[in-house]
Amino acid sequence: MATTEHDPFILDRPTAPRISARGSLICIGVAVLLLLVLEGASIRRSGQRMDPGLQRTVVRAVGAPAGWLADRLPIGDAVDGLTSWLSPDEKLTGPGGFETPAAGTSARAGAATAITPDAFDPAALGEKPVRLNKLGTLLVTGDSMSQPLDVELARGLAASGVRTVRDAHLGSGISKTSLVDWGRLSSQQARERKPDAVVVFLGANEGFPLPGAGKRLVSCCGPTWAALYATRARKMMDTYRRSGAARVYWLTLPLPRDPARQKIVRSVNAAVAVAAQPYRAQVRILDMAQVFTPAGRFRAAMAVGGKDTVVREPDGIHLNGAGAKVAAGLVESRLKADFDSLRP
Amino acid sequence: MVFPTIQFAVFFPIVLAISWALMRRQPVWKPFMLGASYLFYSAANPLFCVMLAAITLGNQGASKLIHRSEDARVRKRIVVAAVTVNLATLGVFKYYGFFSQEVNAVLDGVGLGLPVPLAAIVLPVGISFIIFQAISYTVDVYRREIEPATTFDLGLYLSFFPHLVAGPIVRAKEFLPQLTTPRDPRKVAVGAGVALIVIGLTKKVAIADFLAREIVDPVYGVPQAYSAPDVILASYAYAVQIFCDFSGYTDIAIGLALLMGFVFPQNFDRPYRATSVREYWRRWHMTLSRFLRDFLFIPLGGSRSGKLKTARNLFITMVLGGLWHGAAWGFVLWGALHGAALVVETLLRGRVKVPGWLAWLLTFHFIVLAFVVFRSPSLGQAGTYLSRLVEPGPATLWTVPIVAVVVLVVGLQLLPARPMDALRVAFERLHPVALGASMATVIVLVAATVSSQGVPPFIYFQF
Repeated sequence: MATTEHDPFILDRPTAPRISARGSLICIGVAVLLLLVLEGASIRRSGQRMDPGLQRTVVRAVGAPAGWLADRLPIGDAVDGLTSWLSPDEKLTGPGGFETPAAGTSARAGAATAITPDAFDPAALGEKPVRLNKLGTLLVTGDSMSQPLDVELARGLAASGVRTVRDAHLGSGISKTSLVDWGRLSSQQARERKPDAVVVFLGANEGFPLPGAGKRLVSCCGPTWAALYATRARKMMDTYRRSGAARVYWLTLPLPRDPARQKIVRSVNAAVAVAAQPYRAQVRILDMAQVFTPAGRFRAAMAVGGKDTVVREPDGIHLNGAGAKVAAGLVESRLKADFDSLRP
Repeated sequence: MVFPTIQFAVFFPIVLAISWALMRRQPVWKPFMLGASYLFYSAANPLFCVMLAAITLGNQGASKLIHRSEDARVRKRIVVAAVTVNLATLGVFKYYGFFSQEVNAVLDGVGLGLPVPLAAIVLPVGISFIIFQAISYTVDVYRREIEPATTFDLGLYLSFFPHLVAGPIVRAKEFLPQLTTPRDPRKVAVGAGVALIVIGLTKKVAIADFLAREIVDPVYGVPQAYSAPDVILASYAYAVQIFCDFSGYTDIAIGLALLMGFVFPQNFDRPYRATSVREYWRRWHMTLSRFLRDFLFIPLGGSRSGKLKTARNLFITMVLGGLWHGAAWGFVLWGALHGAALVVETLLRGRVKVPGWLAWLLTFHFIVLAFVVFRSPSLGQAGTYLSRLVEPGPATLWTVPIVAVVVLVVGLQLLPARPMDALRVAFERLHPVALGASMATVIVLVAATVSSQGVPPFIYFQF
């Protein structure tokens, strides 16, 4: 073991002379002032994206005047323009956003929507299932729920020559467009990646009010909110299935430990089930709630391979590595049922 | 609360200003700072504050009893009990899940069923650092190196927000004397503090998170999807990532403390220039190294009883040091590898002469390879990862920025210290207004590299 005669402190090395405490306040004050001017709009945006709570209240309280100041000074926009090349985020471009629905996506009032053959899974009718030939690209996407499921699927399918694209957007949600607009993102993913199959595990950050009729905000989690959520989820499913060229595997959420969150998750799961109805031929709903939390009860551990195993993270929301393996196994078995190339 | 966040940017200037305003009125300053530190910790989970208060009161009670007793045996019993309770607390929160799963697996394997209840227990942020500092206080009182502090001072020592969640591990005898007299407002290392904050932010956000996103996480997640060129680069990149992530955090922590008038020990000193594993541990996570030295290696017998016993003590210390990082066999194996390397070095000392460049090359690559078991999610995955190191194939992730960052971070550590120190000191000498403007500029640039998903947690938060 290392033994030293003297344990070095940070100021043992060469440093500038010490100055008065007023200097530290001036320094931090100048930095804060400049940041308010340069990043005011970003602070305001960050506050809007945060989950409700004290921290959000504080950030919004700072962000509102900072944003107001930034709006009146062109310098913030100029800085954003100069530094935008450093951003690692993909630019979401093109149509398909939730806030600007494409023409023809809403049904006329009073008119019944025609049912198409896509609403029926041939297997459910006793017909021969339509199998696809090759699974070339698999997109695994969602919020933090999709991790480490994405890694487990990538590992499991690596030997089959499947290219697994992992595209998790932490902290995002279908009801929370301020961070990521999943309508626009799903369109971009489908357009650019052209996946043969898409696995979606999303919903840990839901429960935000959704704009309803007349742009009136509808709070979670009643039938109106669920209907609005289902409309958005359906739009994503339609995008991902690429007119029948791809298969979609949408995982419902296992119930979380927190009863307040359970209410949101029940609404999300119900909405997802309804959303998939027109596309049963291509969209598979994989019921993780039933697998991990049967009878609507949270449990941290379950029998896996005959042994009791902890499958949830201590936060009571996410699946841990063992849980993700279970979920990945279920997804893989559905993929094998749909793609010839995965058959042994 | 994480340092590079807007929440902290709101919190810190307010606390700094009030702290200096109240500094001369210690009866008011101490409760204020204690409250601010608990507020900082409660942002993670308010219940963690209850645990922190319990650890504080428990160790204070034990220390008072130790101090009052003149009977050496009684004193020893109390300190043993206090250390045991501290370690048991750590064990329950950090190791119970691992322990129950492993014990059940063994017992189930011999047909005895699953007798230990399984549970997913929330790991309080920074608990390892808090417990180690609590132990250092109680043991220092037992060794009569310090007098028991007031409960307020101990509470402040354990909760002081700059070092609360990921160190550096500041010894009680280093911190408590700084609380006995108000910090001198005429002598604040403002330049040094700002330089450390700026360097730390850049290391963490611009370098560590960039490497994690672009190469480390993809390759370590699914090593079977990559071949040798990518896996080799990812190995170097992880060594750079973890250095920049952890040393970046401690740079910020030490810098914040300096602005508040407190001086912390150094935690990193260009570790990748080490020419032996022994030297590496003098340069890497130095406050953990000396904690393990003073509270584990020396009590085990240190290097007083011959080479073989020294080797045994080194090995045990490093295995337990590995386990301190987390409840996983990968950490244990990582500690064992370092322990074995230290043993080999001890046994060969004075017998083998190796040129300096070769010693560096061997040491650096040993460290890089040992990190594979540290970073991999399981030993099986580590095996897969290592097997891909010799798998021929294309370089799909090699880009100029990734290679440049890896070479730059390692290369800068190999340069002599003097020119870099001169540059840093020149920056530190700037007028406070220029320092503030520089800090704002760096924050704006660094913030531009953050993805919409925010700044990922520091790696050492999980420890």
